[in-house]
Amino acid sequence: MAPKIAVILFPGTNCENETKLACEAAGMEADIIRWNSKENIDDYDGFILPGGWSYEDRIRAGVISSKDHLMQKIKSAAKKGRPVLGICNGCQILIETGMIPGLKDKVEMALAPNINPFVSGFYCTWVKIKNSTKKKNAFNEFYDENEIIDIPIAHGEGRFTTKDEWILDRLNKNGQIAFSYCDEQGTVDSSFPINPNGSISNIAGISNKEGNVLAMMPHPERAFFKKQLKEKTMNNFGDAMSLAKAAKIFESMREYIKKNKT
Amino acid sequence: MGEVEVETINVLDMSDKELSKFLKENSMSMKLEETKKLPKILKRNPTLTELHIFNTEWSEHTSYKSSKSILKQLPTEGPTVILGPKEDAGIAFFTEHNGERYGIVMSHESHNHPSQVVPYEGAATGIGGNVRDVLCMGARVIACADPLRFGSPDGKHKDRVKYISNAVIDGIAGYGNPLGVPVIAGDVYFNDSFDDNCLVNVVTLGILKEKDIIHSTAPENAEGYDIIVVGKATDNSGFGGAAFASLILDEEDRESNRGAVQVPDPFLKNILFRATESVFKEARKKGITLGFKDMGAGGIMCATTELVSSAGLGAEIDIDKVHVSMHNLPPYIIACSETQERFTWISPKEFTETILKIYNKDFELPNISECARASVVGKVTRSKNYILKHKGRIICNADVDEITEGVKYERKSREHKEKRENLKEPNLKEPGDYSQTTLKILSHPNVASKAACYKHYDTEVQGLTIIRPGEADAGVQTPIPDCKAGIALSVDSNPKYSRIDPYLGAVNAVAESMRNVACVGAVPIAMTDCLNYGNPEKQEVFHEFVEGVKGITDAANNLYLKDTKKPVPFISGNVSFYNESAAGKSVDPSAIIGCLGKMDDISKAITMKIKKNNSTLFLIGKRKDELGGSVYYDINNELGKNIPKIDFESHRDMIYAVIDAIDDRLLLSCHDISDGGMITTLSEMILGGEAAGKIGAEISLDFSSLQISKTLFSETPGFIIEAEEGNISEIKKLFEKHLINFTELGRTAGNKLIVSSKSEEIINLDIKELKNSWTTGFVKALR
Repeated sequence: MAPKIAVILFPGTNCENETKLACEAAGMEADIIRWNSKENIDDYDGFILPGGWSYEDRIRAGVISSKDHLMQKIKSAAKKGRPVLGICNGCQILIETGMIPGLKDKVEMALAPNINPFVSGFYCTWVKIKNSTKKKNAFNEFYDENEIIDIPIAHGEGRFTTKDEWILDRLNKNGQIAFSYCDEQGTVDSSFPINPNGSISNIAGISNKEGNVLAMMPHPERAFFKKQLKEKTMNNFGDAMSLAKAAKIFESMREYIKKNKT
Repeated sequence: MGEVEVETINVLDMSDKELSKFLKENSMSMKLEETKKLPKILKRNPTLTELHIFNTEWSEHTSYKSSKSILKQLPTEGPTVILGPKEDAGIAFFTEHNGERYGIVMSHESHNHPSQVVPYEGAATGIGGNVRDVLCMGARVIACADPLRFGSPDGKHKDRVKYISNAVIDGIAGYGNPLGVPVIAGDVYFNDSFDDNCLVNVVTLGILKEKDIIHSTAPENAEGYDIIVVGKATDNSGFGGAAFASLILDEEDRESNRGAVQVPDPFLKNILFRATESVFKEARKKGITLGFKDMGAGGIMCATTELVSSAGLGAEIDIDKVHVSMHNLPPYIIACSETQERFTWISPKEFTETILKIYNKDFELPNISECARASVVGKVTRSKNYILKHKGRIICNADVDEITEGVKYERKSREHKEKRENLKEPNLKEPGDYSQTTLKILSHPNVASKAACYKHYDTEVQGLTIIRPGEADAGVQTPIPDCKAGIALSVDSNPKYSRIDPYLGAVNAVAESMRNVACVGAVPIAMTDCLNYGNPEKQEVFHEFVEGVKGITDAANNLYLKDTKKPVPFISGNVSFYNESAAGKSVDPSAIIGCLGKMDDISKAITMKIKKNNSTLFLIGKRKDELGGSVYYDINNELGKNIPKIDFESHRDMIYAVIDAIDDRLLLSCHDISDGGMITTLSEMILGGEAAGKIGAEISLDFSSLQISKTLFSETPGFIIEAEEGNISEIKKLFEKHLINFTELGRTAGNKLIVSSKSEEIINLDIKELKNSWTTGFVKALR
């Protein structure tokens, strides 16, 4: 049976449809679950928090959603090993819950306003990221080490930061830095535009220690099919619909669920 | 005409002076003679509420009173039209997929006055209003495009111009991004005619199944149906917005005009959109026919009168049932305020509960935004009277057709002969250094890369984008994710062309928008126009408008839908007059055109960026001495006279030959020749949208008998295409069949742009130099 994913819709979420579509194209089932839904979500095999402006980014992006009762349920599901993927605003929410990086079960990092010499505020562009961890997690099963992925970003507050040096060391040691912004050769260069937002250590995505929760700022659901990519040659429609590298994140999630389903 | 139960205003007995004073004190833009018609129509004096209602309905913005008779000539029908410009938005037939017929909804609006006064909010609510027009047809909103015109960034109002430009761009981003509607096209022009009046237009697209269209009218036999107002709680924001849009902006009134601009709330809109899509779904499931309309200009009053009058019915509305967020609002403000994020439903009683539940419970509107909700405010009546009640008393009781009928003017027009006679071609010396001139043109803010604008916009959300802004002459999407067919969109209008010749300028706008759509391989199927002009009461200005409409009409009639002799239809549009400063300076006449294209297989779509080394570059379209309004003249502080003329037959052939060549997968890249001339076209092909191109080009100008400057910088329409060796004979065959004038320009090679003429090298530029000029000019204009 295909794994079943709950795609969470908070007030202000705006990427739920394409995220659901990506799940389905990767061989999973997906339901969009409204924030006030009375439905029991315990039966879902995995969860995705899609992008958007949940609760209008009031106070700080992701803060209010992180306090939502749904997040408590998702947190306990994650503790049981179910995969949770947060994309863009979903990434901000996971940071605000403390699930990421999840070293001491409290808020340990932040997503600060972009530092960008070209455009201030919201910035939408295509970047390259690479699978920068040697460790297998629920989302990188199909990536080679250092494999480069073309993917878009679209955010105003995507700069991973922390005040505690030791956290970075620990993330590195634990292999939690899942994706890093890089150039065409895979070099992690901190200069703009390779690092598009000034993120510390070029971090684009972080997993928890266990590897079943991933928070990433870039949007894999927008780079899922070849036709969506920025630079491409499409030989025919079948080729246009072939899966691009970012799709492997969803496919890994599917395999992870299949393997770990009890 | 019925009786009312409140005091009336004694218009009949007022002197002209008293009446003028009254109108001014009440911020009404209605003319004296219009006001005096009211007692005749109502057969009694009007109430204050009725005065406000007619003031709104008779404004230029709502009634199209000056433009209606002229607009009649536009072609609006044809095989690609599902719904012409009759309702909130038009619909073009797109494709059949899995046995269903799909349409693309298209709407075009301006929000010029608000954006000049309060640029962030003005631009944001411009998006907000236009997306509502598309949604309320029953569609999913999938794309926006933003044509923008700002004042001179180096002129005497440069500080204000820069402030407005940045705030407008931020406003568009600040609304469209949270809502989740990608921007896929747009353009930006700067010149001093826009110093006191920026133009902020927006085109919005939506997708729907033909069978799912919801009309902006009450259903047949809707007597007794509920009238439901949905969304944000009504306040006094945007009161008088329609009338305000029909005034000349006076800088001194800036502060007092702010209240006429609406307040945007994209967060609430995002949820309203999702809730509304749920209503669509439920209604389709249950087979219920509803009426649905956006609340824009004129608020509740305009939306409800138009919904019922088009069905031959009337309405009775209890103003006290409208959910409001301010105490003691006068009833005419509740009726006419333009509070954003609202819609009106006409629903049969048995479905009303479902609508209320979806908005108020499922999507919790009251918890999302203070006092927001869905409320039943009245009912549809058999009698054609439009009755508003306040505190149990009737405050408006007028024939609904009289309200919506509006007024009509046959304006006089007269050509500004002197202006035309003063135009002349300059006698410029050839530039000493063509390389430097090329760089100067590339850094001109009207030519330079607009990345600093469109990177503020989410171009990717919804995951439908195939070609994004900057990559090609038109944006491309797959509106149905698993369907082969795609759409393309471009918006165009060169203000200086229309300054020189409002007719030819308009012809060029249509022609260019079609070329741009062709460049990606899409076939033009429908147009939308936003006609931005000065004060129509001035005969010279009205003449520009008349010429503009004639221009777009002639172009659409003669450029044809592919493989037919039928016009490319206009399925929606908008007119914006009074774009004039208090000192009497009007904007360059601007018939801004959006062209919607369709391609059967999106995998054939191509961009402008050069793809391969050592491929052949062809020029399509003869170079002519047509530099009037060109960037080359502009950098020489000249305007000129000879703007490009469009020979319809050859232009048509050229467009359809390019489309066929792309359809046969014969081209690697394609870019239209327009602003800056062929050297700009080629430079942009080398650079590509991101200015990351690595392949240069070497071309020769020996084909041209014109002066070098005219060959390089003339903006005569055309294309440059890139093709591989193996495809050349087929391309030649195709072009000969279409009787196309084409020339082999040169080859792609190296990492430079090299141009020679008579074996002498006249341009030699590194890609780096091209990049440096092209990527900085626009940024400088904004900073």
